[in-house]
Amino acid sequence: MPVVLEAKNLIKRYGEVTAVNNVSLAVEKGALFGLLGPNGSGKTTMIKMLTGQTRPSGGSATVLDIDVVQDPIGIRERVGIIPEQETPPSFLTAMEYLKFVAAVRKIPDIEKKADWWFDFLDFADKKNVLCKDLSRGTRQKLMFTQAFIHEPALALIDEPLINFDPIMQDVVKDYLAGYVKKGKTIFISTHILEVAEEICSGFAILHKGTLLHTGPVAELTAMGEHLPSFFLSLVRKDRHV
Amino acid sequence: MFELFINMVKEEWRVHSTMFGSLSFALFPVMIFGIAFMGSFLIPLMQTTLPAGDLTLIVHANYLMLGIMVGGFGLLGNEVMNRRFGQASLLAYSARSLPLSEKFIFLNFVIKDTVYYFFLWVLPFGFGYILASPFTGVPLAGALLLLLTLTLSFLFGLCGVFFLSAVYARSRPVLWLVLLAVCGGTGGLASMTATNPVLFFPPLLLNNVFTWVNFLISCTILALLFGIAIVMFNPESVGSEKMYNDSFSPLMRQFSFLPNPPLAAKDTLDLYRSGSLVGQTIFSFLLPLAVIWFFLSLLGPFFPPHGLLFILAVTTGVIASTMYTWVTMFDTFGPYACLPVAVSTLIASKLTTFAVLQVIPATFIIAVAILSGEVAYLIPAVVLGISVSFYAVGIMAWLCGLFPNVLVYDVKVLFVYLILVGIVLAIFTAIAFANPYFALSSVILVIPTRLLVQKAKIRWDSVDQEGF
Repeated sequence: MPVVLEAKNLIKRYGEVTAVNNVSLAVEKGALFGLLGPNGSGKTTMIKMLTGQTRPSGGSATVLDIDVVQDPIGIRERVGIIPEQETPPSFLTAMEYLKFVAAVRKIPDIEKKADWWFDFLDFADKKNVLCKDLSRGTRQKLMFTQAFIHEPALALIDEPLINFDPIMQDVVKDYLAGYVKKGKTIFISTHILEVAEEICSGFAILHKGTLLHTGPVAELTAMGEHLPSFFLSLVRKDRHV
Repeated sequence: MFELFINMVKEEWRVHSTMFGSLSFALFPVMIFGIAFMGSFLIPLMQTTLPAGDLTLIVHANYLMLGIMVGGFGLLGNEVMNRRFGQASLLAYSARSLPLSEKFIFLNFVIKDTVYYFFLWVLPFGFGYILASPFTGVPLAGALLLLLTLTLSFLFGLCGVFFLSAVYARSRPVLWLVLLAVCGGTGGLASMTATNPVLFFPPLLLNNVFTWVNFLISCTILALLFGIAIVMFNPESVGSEKMYNDSFSPLMRQFSFLPNPPLAAKDTLDLYRSGSLVGQTIFSFLLPLAVIWFFLSLLGPFFPPHGLLFILAVTTGVIASTMYTWVTMFDTFGPYACLPVAVSTLIASKLTTFAVLQVIPATFIIAVAILSGEVAYLIPAVVLGISVSFYAVGIMAWLCGLFPNVLVYDVKVLFVYLILVGIVLAIFTAIAFANPYFALSSVILVIPTRLLVQKAKIRWDSVDQEGF
């Protein structure tokens, strides 16, 4: 399978702090790849670098064969992104926000597509509500919609299930699993290991900005290992080091 | 109460010092002090053309205006806090996690802002003047009195606009009634006494002759304005949902002639739905300019013929340039980071919306020219005002990118801004004084403006947009 995302010795420093230290990884087309790590391990910084939101201090990365430093806008044109904390603009309604996204991304037939998503994620009753008045869960639904409405070849999602109730988590997990079956790729970052084990095909473990392990989930399963216990033993060992 | 207040002050300091570095931010009041200290030595020179009383008037007007600008935080209650702090988790948001009411937290927030900006702006200026007094021959008592009356002037602006904006947030018709009553009262006072009503401004009265009665009257008015505003503060009710039909698509079609119709449509909806278009126009534009016009009208004899109109046009231009902060205050770059939108595109779009808003200052200058019977100089005055506005916004975009509200407190940024704007103001004011029609030459400012905007786009495209 061709590689759609590749990082080589990626580094990000904020003054004295090294948030990401020499990380190399590759994600193949059709994968649902999980970047795992405890809080503050550098997952969000990795996603920001891979989507051209922040420049690496060292190393290089390509996403869909586009260099993240040379053409960050080109990357954002072709991928879907859900940032961990960002919320949609306060003074647009949910429907207006999707129309805004469609206008920027030049997506045709937006009303029809938006209505499908409103029904699918069960928030059609909120489509004319100002984004600032939406609950966190509904905002997350809206952000999810904006990331997938143009059916990108690759979606990068920071904590995909955060703020969703258990029913919606199930719907979203099914959607993600079905999405990669269509030949698309998903890169998620999460610290919910059970979810990663359930849905991911490949994973990487990041701790204090350093890559501890990367490989397919099936490899672990074949060894009789579970992702949560493998993760914990690796991270605890690294802490002692 | 005191604990919350102290922690809010610490928080405010850390917000600013984290952005610019402690030293850079700490130098801000030092710079204000320096300006006042050095400026004091120019007073004897200025007094050859401008009486001391008029200088006092100008300084008081500036501090009244500063208070007005700082005081707009009552405008939209929580929304102001949201816009100002973005997603940061600050004490102003702690009503849900601490056993404190929103009103109590807001009271602390207001007092903190008052004290904070007093130490940032008012005290350094007064202190500079006081320290210079032994060298300039100004009696120490006079310098101390100036510090007191400048403080009062600042507080009048702050409490006045806080009161008006709290009324505005409750009921717009009542606001218009209050404004009508204030205008009627001021007009009545002027016609009864045949004196410019500005001279009845309590801090000025106090500065002319200090009496305890006047001082108490000033304090009582301030306490009343402040108290009523706090009582009227209405925290946005949790769980309320505002619904709108789609206005985005029709607006985008209307803006199809602009370079970025979706971004322009979004900016317009932000301004309209937040209430900022009307609110900011009143509190950050018309009110300060009306105050300045009032105060400048007293200085008419010291300007060349038609000078007042052109001074006001230049001042309008500078204040109009702050409209860029209206359109940049709503969103961080965050929501755009998941879209294929470059920082330079966003700057260009904000400047486009800014350009559309320039119809407000243009209308204001036209109105002033007509009302002051100087229709003949209407076009040069408008050209001067709008050219200055675009030039100043070019500098702002270059220096601050999408964060003019925040980066203005970086002493290096403010210093460069003041120098670059100051030089141009001095040149074109002098040119307009020499011959009103020469003010038309200010269109030449389009060249540096264009260069500045180009530089702004290149500069801010290469800067990570996180960390503000």
